[in-house]
Amino acid sequence: MTKYLRLRRWLLACAALPMVLLGAAASQAAVPKEIRIGTLYADSGPFATSSLSQLAGLKFWVNEVNRQGGVFVRAYGRKIPVRLVTYNDRSSTTTAATLYNQLITEDRVNILAADFGSVLTSVAVPIAREHQMLLFDQTGTGAAFFTRDNPYIVLTSLPTSARWPYALADFLKAQGKIRRVALLYATNDFTGSQAQTLRARLQGSGVKLVFDHGVPTSTSSYALLLHNIQASRPDAVIEFGFPDNDIAFLHDLQASGIKFKMVFTIFPGQLLALVQKNVGAQTLAYTYTYPTPPLLVYNRVNYGMGLDRFSRAFHAATGTQPNFLNIAGFNTGLIIQKTLDTAPNLRQMTLRRSVMRFSGKLHTLDGAFRIDATTGAQIGEALPVGQFIPVGKGLTVRMVYPPAIATGRPAYPAP
Amino acid sequence: MPRGGWYSVGVVLMFAVLPFVYGNHALLFNMMMYLVLAQGINVLFGFTGYLPFGYVGFFGTGAYGTSLAILLLHLPPLPALLVGAAAAMLVGLVLAPLLKLSGAYFAIASLAASEVVYYIVSNPHLTPLTQGPYGISLVQTYNAAQSYAVMVAVLALALGAVVYLRNSNLGLALQAIREEPISAGFAGINVVRERTRAWLLSAALAGLAGGVYAWHVSVFYPKPVFDLSISVFAIVFTLFGGAATLLGPVVGTLLLYGLYNWIGISQPEYFQLVFGIVIVVLVLFLPNGLMSLLRRIRVDVP
Repeated sequence: MTKYLRLRRWLLACAALPMVLLGAAASQAAVPKEIRIGTLYADSGPFATSSLSQLAGLKFWVNEVNRQGGVFVRAYGRKIPVRLVTYNDRSSTTTAATLYNQLITEDRVNILAADFGSVLTSVAVPIAREHQMLLFDQTGTGAAFFTRDNPYIVLTSLPTSARWPYALADFLKAQGKIRRVALLYATNDFTGSQAQTLRARLQGSGVKLVFDHGVPTSTSSYALLLHNIQASRPDAVIEFGFPDNDIAFLHDLQASGIKFKMVFTIFPGQLLALVQKNVGAQTLAYTYTYPTPPLLVYNRVNYGMGLDRFSRAFHAATGTQPNFLNIAGFNTGLIIQKTLDTAPNLRQMTLRRSVMRFSGKLHTLDGAFRIDATTGAQIGEALPVGQFIPVGKGLTVRMVYPPAIATGRPAYPAP
Repeated sequence: MPRGGWYSVGVVLMFAVLPFVYGNHALLFNMMMYLVLAQGINVLFGFTGYLPFGYVGFFGTGAYGTSLAILLLHLPPLPALLVGAAAAMLVGLVLAPLLKLSGAYFAIASLAASEVVYYIVSNPHLTPLTQGPYGISLVQTYNAAQSYAVMVAVLALALGAVVYLRNSNLGLALQAIREEPISAGFAGINVVRERTRAWLLSAALAGLAGGVYAWHVSVFYPKPVFDLSISVFAIVFTLFGGAATLLGPVVGTLLLYGLYNWIGISQPEYFQLVFGIVIVVLVLFLPNGLMSLLRRIRVDVP
């Protein structure tokens, strides 16, 4: 009987050997020559500046990993070069819808990343879901994208916009001297949701909204509004807008000669060079913002380059100093890299599960990466409050809230 | 079968079959959407001579009418589309006095009217009703395959409408109004009534296209559905092929939108150059569109 069993095992082994060899050969053949990452960009239209910056960051990541032989893909146990497949949507959602489909159905990309911002991401959300592709949403922070019944989305580089003013609201409440706040915001999903959060978090705190006004996003003149705000005698003025709104607001503030004790705007913290070029360092002095990298340095980096190394390498590669959107694009690359590094296969739900496994454990130059397990929304990064302090002819950022990362006390009221 | 009927059946069948052989369904969907809009422009401009630069206002109204019927009235998508079309016609009725204007005055006034509709819809004070500037989410009804099939049906309707106009007394009356409204009136044509009918038919087609688009994309903001470029594309496609024909807008859309996507996908760096040259050549040498070439060699264009 034992002899029979041995013979049977031997025969089975002989029979299995060719299959194993064939399987191994097939497995070798199945290793792709490249990992295709598909994304869109806009070289014209209202989102061009931001979209191109974000793409530059992602491209930089692609070049970096390819320089090192490719990205490690656990599913194949080896490094594989990355190819970035990009199309130009010209800031049009209709064109973007066609091109996202092109990436999925014709180019058959392995990884899908969205274009900049909520508007150009909005059309990608249902398309990715329909095709069961995990969408690496880079900066589309609209809360409507993240629902419990859609596992095919992950927000990589920013928290959803409704979470942005958490620290700001707490700062206003904790300041003590601020009792009257003026809130001016552009009426769009991005800033409207921030206004809503601020309103809700200030309610019942003793800090009163003495001016609460929404203006169309296309607003380019704030002179009259500034006088209305002044008439409400606020202790702090919060302006939520897109870069063009912030620039126009700060420009008109400077031109009007009106002084407020505290002025807060969003985009100087993300696109300082652009805003400073348009309104000057003097106008920005002592104003407040949400500082983001490179103004904000996260020291606890356990994955990818730290900010200093990234800034030097990016400058060497592109000849420009990085802004936040460059970092956001690069950070998307890092999240993709970690996903491929940990996913046992390239099925899209496996990718999503892999993201969940490292969510909360990853710290990049863009801060903590943690997503809501049920919706895919980013909840790891918090946006602190910083104040621009003049240094010579330039500016530096002083972190003023939350206390854990504060580098100084706020200069309040502004001199 | 009326003149042009077989061509319409062919176009509709083509879009019904293409998804089985070509993967980028969004491209096919958008092409159908522009075909419907181009035929809507054709109904108005081709048959009555009114060039509505603000045509996108009806498209956006249809998108919002449909969406709000789904969100507020809890209607299924198909009845909601009818609400979207009705909303576009209602806006058309309110704006009907614009037809007293003509030429560039009408074009500019219609553009201003579409901006007014956009600002009303996106007004933050109407957020409880329209979601204001914060956008619409219809993810609960999202169904790409069904919305594609319905767009095929809307395309059939649009082509059928133009076939009807090409073969009916109403179409003849409209063309008479386009050529000489006073003489048409003397000939017994009720000028105001007939061109209002064309205006409302055109509005309904755009409303239906907007409604199906909203259902298809399911998440959108007000600006993209009231974007002037939608009007411009539909007008250019119509003029490129040739207005007042069935085939002109079809050929114009298939060629130009196909070219737009082909260049955009394969040679994006040459997009503006090539697209610009094509349009300049057309305006200079074929102001009546590609179909005028066929007419020159005495081909009867449906």
